[in-house]
Amino acid sequence: MDKKTVLIVDDSSLARMMVRKIFATSFKDWNLVEAKDGEEALNLAADTPVHLALLDFNMPGMNGIELAEKLLVKYPSAGVYLVTANIQERMHQRAESMGIGFIKKPIAENKIADILKQIA
Amino acid sequence: MSGQGSEEMFCLSEMEEDALKEFFNMGLGMAAASLSQMVNNEVLLSLPQLKVVPYEEATKMLVANEEEKLVAIRQNFTGELTGTALLIFPGAESLELVRTLLNEQMPLEVLMELEQETLQDVGNVVLNAFLESFTQMMSIQFEFEAAEFLKGSSSFLLDISSHLAAQRQSLMSDESGNDERAFVLMMDFKTHDEEQTQHTLSGFVVLLFSQYSMEILKRELKVILATL
Repeated sequence: MDKKTVLIVDDSSLARMMVRKIFATSFKDWNLVEAKDGEEALNLAADTPVHLALLDFNMPGMNGIELAEKLLVKYPSAGVYLVTANIQERMHQRAESMGIGFIKKPIAENKIADILKQIA
Repeated sequence: MSGQGSEEMFCLSEMEEDALKEFFNMGLGMAAASLSQMVNNEVLLSLPQLKVVPYEEATKMLVANEEEKLVAIRQNFTGELTGTALLIFPGAESLELVRTLLNEQMPLEVLMELEQETLQDVGNVVLNAFLESFTQMMSIQFEFEAAEFLKGSSSFLLDISSHLAAQRQSLMSDESGNDERAFVLMMDFKTHDEEQTQHTLSGFVVLLFSQYSMEILKRELKVILATL
């Protein structure tokens, strides 16, 4: 059976490592693809179908919402989540209207388990 | 660079620096969310630059113009981490920040009256969030003292002896200032008002840690990275 792919995009390698560890430990049936910014993420997503995207908000180049918009054009049924410590009302509304979810940093296993249930 | 023995001890690996930057970014995210609630407006904070330098070098980085008036919010912290946190703005920009945050047209004299109180609140939120991001990820406990508003020339604001004196008042510590280290973070504030006009201004956050506190930080970073 083909594994589903989760795309992790964060300019911090620590943040990527934390997500990677959670998937490697508890959600082994997912294929992990990582990028450090939006541009790299879009290049990866051009070749690899994305089922779930976990995106940092503050990144060099395009921010998480701009990247989410582009990913959703290519993969409208993917689960797309902004992973950020900064959840503000206006941003929340804008993201929600686009079908983007939020995960509050610091990331933890139970938070990922919750969204995997949502997109199952 | 002092070339002293402590230099090596505080040299952070690329991974450790990345980890610290991520903690600060988390703190900044929390600060932005709190400020946004305070001012009922969208607030974006970003960190274009982070440096860990001896305190003397930090002061040089900030002092672009000896005569320039600066404002700062200073908050000391004590416990397992001990030091001083400063949020610094060019004096001319601090009023602009107050105006932007309050999002109202006000006469200058009213604005000036509100300056101290508003900036003290902003400093309290930002500095607390920065340092609390450490406690989220690390097993470190410390407490904050009340925020103080300072205004003056750069050399006055960055005078290390005054910060150490303020710390000692509560600490009874006899640590020497020679080995103090500072994180210097350049921070950009952006706000969007209702008309979606964007305002941007830059400030600095200086976190001055005692040598002992820096060792604790480094030890905690190693522990976190070892688990990944």
